[in-house]
Formats: sequence, structure tokens, C-alpha cells
Amino acid sequence: MHKPITPISAKPSQYGINPALVKKRASELPKMCSLNLQDLFPDLPEVIFPAGPNAIDDVRKAAIESLKKVDMSMIKSEDSVNVLASHHGFTLFGGEPYAELLKAIKDVVEEKTGCKEVRLRAGVGMRFRETEEYIKSYGLDTYYHGKAIGLAPVDEGIPIETEIGTLYGLKKIYDADWIIHAHHTDVREVHFHRQVDKAVKPFGMSYARIETRSTYHQNLGPRAANFTARALFESDFVQSKFAFASFLDVGPHGIVGVDSDNDLYALNDRATFIGCQRYGKVMTLFGEIDECIAVLDFPCPVPYVFSAGVIYANFTGANVDLYDLKTPLPSYTWYTEAFYGKNDKPLLGDIPPINPAIKMCVHNYAWTGYPSAFFSKHIPTIVVGQEQANLFDRDSMNLEYMDYAVSIKSLEAAMEFAYQTTGIDKVIIFDGAMGGMNVSETMAELLLEKAPLVSEKVDQELLPKWLKQRGVDVSILDKLKK
Amino acid sequence: MKQVTLLAKVDQDKCIGCKICTKVCPVLSISVVNRKAVVNEDDCRACGNCEQRCPSHAIEMVPREKPLKVYVDVTKFDQGKISEICEKAHFNPEQVLCYCTGVRADEVAAAILDGAKTPEAVSLMTGIRTGCTIECVQPVLRMLEAAGCELKPNEGGWQWYGTTATAWTVPKEVKEKYSTRGFYFEEDRELLDDIAKLNVEEKGGKNRDA
Ligand code: SF4
Ligand code: SF4
Repeated sequence: MHKPITPISAKPSQYGINPALVKKRASELPKMCSLNLQDLFPDLPEVIFPAGPNAIDDVRKAAIESLKKVDMSMIKSEDSVNVLASHHGFTLFGGEPYAELLKAIKDVVEEKTGCKEVRLRAGVGMRFRETEEYIKSYGLDTYYHGKAIGLAPVDEGIPIETEIGTLYGLKKIYDADWIIHAHHTDVREVHFHRQVDKAVKPFGMSYARIETRSTYHQNLGPRAANFTARALFESDFVQSKFAFASFLDVGPHGIVGVDSDNDLYALNDRATFIGCQRYGKVMTLFGEIDECIAVLDFPCPVPYVFSAGVIYANFTGANVDLYDLKTPLPSYTWYTEAFYGKNDKPLLGDIPPINPAIKMCVHNYAWTGYPSAFFSKHIPTIVVGQEQANLFDRDSMNLEYMDYAVSIKSLEAAMEFAYQTTGIDKVIIFDGAMGGMNVSETMAELLLEKAPLVSEKVDQELLPKWLKQRGVDVSILDKLKK
Repeated sequence: MKQVTLLAKVDQDKCIGCKICTKVCPVLSISVVNRKAVVNEDDCRACGNCEQRCPSHAIEMVPREKPLKVYVDVTKFDQGKISEICEKAHFNPEQVLCYCTGVRADEVAAAILDGAKTPEAVSLMTGIRTGCTIECVQPVLRMLEAAGCELKPNEGGWQWYGTTATAWTVPKEVKEKYSTRGFYFEEDRELLDDIAKLNVEEKGGKNRDA
């Protein structure tokens, strides 16, 4: 147990309240402490970020090293190149490492190929100006000489012929001779992608039009949905433009390195292993939590706030094994939400409930821009500050969020209310604390006790099953261990 | 059902007449007249797309003087016909189609029975497609198609381009080719069928394995 880790700062954004209104962070409250993830899981690899003042230079060095090994001979000096990015990368460890990768890609491509027409195209989730904000705040507009834009799924599209028929991509993603897929191995929405083809997913999501994204979330089913991205990536059109991929190699505790490859599927297998092994342990550990108060305290929409690399949406489903593909529906995913009837109960009895361990949610700081009423409807939720409550009332995706939540003036009062009403003192804070997690001392004790058994269970029993279900060659495990 | 509390308001001085707002409005409630955008206030469903995509930041979402409640009362329509459209589109009538507004399949069917023939009309009547404006476009297209409506995208608009693959159209060869990669095509189709076919009266507590 250590003293609390400084959480990720509140960020100025049109999707969240003014950072000045975030008066207190949950980690500053009495009886809070932190756990180092490498203390919980000693087999987690060493990280290059966070790691002292020069850490960001090390990310750049790792990116350059990795990019030097990639074949870029297909890019001629007179060609145009789109470096494709996604919003989520900017939410990892403060966002700087991802911005640094995007800068390094531009530099190495220019140096190796002589190409001068290198642009940044950054897709989003549901907050259409989110990457515009990041492009400015990380100086990417100047770095890319004004050739950096944010793209939204309602922007002009193009049809792409695939093995399952026509799907639609964003025109400006593909308006260059070559595309470079700049991403990371962080797992984020395991409830959606179930760690199947996660490295390919942006082709069906942040690089895609609404028709494609709706195909994923409504047409194919909770697991088959993941084929949407592969269908697009496999298309002749995308293949004719794909140059290579460059990923931040991320764990729940930090940036391990950079992994670049001309073969996205090879990279995908490595990402699958990382997602199942490194993150699978934390998620399985979170499934061991019997009762808690969850505090949201991070500059992201409600489901995306992080603790130890796990997002709140996944914690709401930690009562089932999200990686086990035999279970069709996690406790929370949009297909699950769709299958709740008018009586607010699941249409089918075998749909698992929202994680019953979460007795109350204190929403100290989280953004709008993602439909979140399902959470406040099914988990008693307290929102700190009337301004934040008002912001949700104005969001077209959250008109009902405050119908099921209450607002309380201060974090201290909200926590007092939560302690009194639930009668428990185990707290888990989703504040993006880097390298570890901020929790109450009582929660720390529980997690320290459970971690060794969880680690063994994942290594011995769960990981081989998870990899097999995904068709990943288990020998990759040995190679990565070397 | 959607409670429409806001309204798009154009700052005419900032508007450059680029028409992007007209291409992204899911209910076609904004047009450009004399090179300036004009909002049809009755029709605006406050999705915010125009405000989010305007390159000149000329649009602001402001509170409506009188909030609107848009919804179609499903009890006023023939339940048999509602079920028929839903079933053909492979949805349970109680299934939520729009995660932002909570609009369910039966309300969309009722809107169609009430005369809606396009996604824009369905959205005007129910509020569906006016939250995130992303995820529910395919269900709306599927429902209209199931009801026999001809789907024609708006010329020059980016509102929607067309229907795409569903669990029922994925070719057998594709399922076989990728069978080892964890997509569970058949099992997921069965799950969707189970949900769609579930009799609303009997629902709840019923296990698929039972
Ligand atoms: S998008 Fe903005 S600038 Fe363009 S026509 Fe509409 S209001 Fe005017
Ligand atoms: S419905 Fe949406 S896009 Fe259309 S005018 Fe209103 S806010 Fe703008």
C-alpha cells in the first residue's frame, strides 16, 4: 500500500465541466491509498512510461526504432499518406505518449520515403469534436503543418465492397495513396470487442461511417459484430492502401514499447495476447470484489473512466468473465441494453445483471457524449455538483441520465452519503492513476489478498482457454516471454 | 420518445453557407437560404450534429422556450401489425433500438403505421436517430424495409447511404472461412432470433437453455 497516486488532471473540453469546478479529487479523501500494479502482478513487464522526466523521449526512441524495421518501400516520394489515429489513444496515460507516436510516424515516414504529403486523420467515438480538441492541445496541427483534422462518423462516406456486402468508410480516411494505422494495445471496451480482432477494430469504428458502426452494434450480434472491421480490412480497397500499422504496446500499468508491423494480423495476435494476459488479470481481479463504492473521476465519458487499465463499463460487467466467448452477452453491452424490456428487466432470464458488487456510484467527474442512462438506471448514482448534472441534462445522448441519479454539492458529502447508505467502506476510484490504482485501504487489503490466486488462475486455466477461443497460436505466449 | 429541450441557433454572421449542416441533419430541418443556414424550429430534434460539424462554429444549441415531447403512442395501433413489422425486421417489439432516446422497435413500427416512410420521418415522430445519430441507423432502415418502404438516400446528403449486412445475410462461406477466430456467427444469429421471437407476454426469467 502506498500513498495515493496523483490522478489524471481534469481537462478543458466542451464535453465536461470546467476543470475549475472539480474542487476535489477522490484520491485526496481520507483513508485512500494506492496499489502498484507490479506489486499485484509481478510478471507485468517493465514500462518506459511513466518513468521519470525523460520517459516521453524514450517513447519517441522506441517508436523510431520500431518504425525503422517496417517496410515503407511502397510509399514513393510523390505519394500522399494518411496517418490514421483514434480518440482513445489520447486518453491513455495523459495522452502524450500517443501524440508522440503520431509525431514519430510522420518524421520517420518523411525521412525514409522522402514523402512530404503526410497528413493526420483522427477519428472519434461519439464526441465529434473530441480529436479536434486533442489535435490542438498536443500541438499536432502545427506538427503536421496544418494537415491534421478530426473526422466524425457523420462526415462524407465512401462505399467499400467487402465479403459481406457494401460497408461504408469515411472518405477523408481513405483520400490518400497510403494509410498508416496508428493505434495501441490498450483494451478499453472489452464488453464490445471481447478481445477479438481488437487491433483491426478502428476500420469498423473510428475510421467508419454510421452505417458500418450501426452494423457492428445492431446487425450482427454481440460477438459476430467483430467481423465488421475484418470485413473492411480484408477488402481490396483497404488492402490496396494499407502500408503498415504502428501501435503503442500498452499494459494497464504503462507504455511497454512500440510495435510496428506490415502484417496487421501478426500484430493483432500479439495484441490479443496482451489484452487477455495483462488486462485479463486485472479484470479477473476486479471480478473478485464483493462490494464497493465506485468513484468516477477522469476526463472521459462515464463508461470510459479508467482504473488500472479497466474502464468503468467493464467493471459493471466484472461479475462475468468478459473474455469467455462462450458467454454471448456481458452484463453491459449495447446488445444487452437493447434486450431490457419495458419493465426494465432483461427479456431473457440468462442475461446477467449489472455487477451487483457496485453498491453505489459517485460521479465526481466524468464527461457527457456517450449514452449513460443505463448505468444510472441500474446503479444508484450520485453526481457531484449541479453544473455537472445540468451538463448531462443538455446532452442529446443523456437526457435521462439525471432522471435516475441525484446531485449533491460536494464530493465529501456524496461520499458520506454513500458510506452511510451502503454501510461499506471499500472504494475503487476510476481516475486513471498511472502505474497503479487508487482505492480505499480496505479495498487494497482485499485486492492484495486475491491477486496471487487470480494471477495463477489466469495463467493456468483462463488464458489458454481465451486464446484458443480466438484462434491465437498459443506458442505466441512463449515467444513473448523471451 | 424524446423530450426535445434544445434548439439549434445559427449565428448568421459566422455562417459561410457551406451547407455541411444540411448534409448531417438527421431530420432535414436545416437548409441554406441566400447562403445562410436557417433552422426549421418546429422540426429540429436537437441532436447537435450541425453544431458539432459546422466548420465556422456558427451554431449553438440553446434552450427551447417550450420543450417538445415527440413520441408515437403504440397503443393506438394494431398490435398484430406492429409485431409483423418487427418480426420481419428480426426485432422483438420491446427491444431498444436507440440507446440515447430509449425508442423501442414497437414505437418505430407504430410511426411507420402512422405514415412515416423515410428514416427522417421516423426520427421526427419518435426522436430516434437524434441522440448520437450513429448507432440506430441500421435498425430504422431495417424496419422501414420490412414494412415495404422504398429506401432512397437524400441526394447530396450524408444522412445515410444504405442498408448493410445482418446476421441473416452473412454468406455461409464467410462463416466457414473465419470459423476459428471467435466470431460465433451462427450462435449470435440464434441469440438474435430467440430475442426476436420471444413472446412479450411470456418474457422475463425465461432461460434460453431451459
Ligand atoms: S455548417 Fe455552419 S457555416 Fe456551413 S452552412 Fe451550416 S451553419 Fe453555415
Ligand atoms: S436536428 Fe440536429 S442537425 Fe438538425 S437542426 Fe436540429 S440540432 Fe441541427
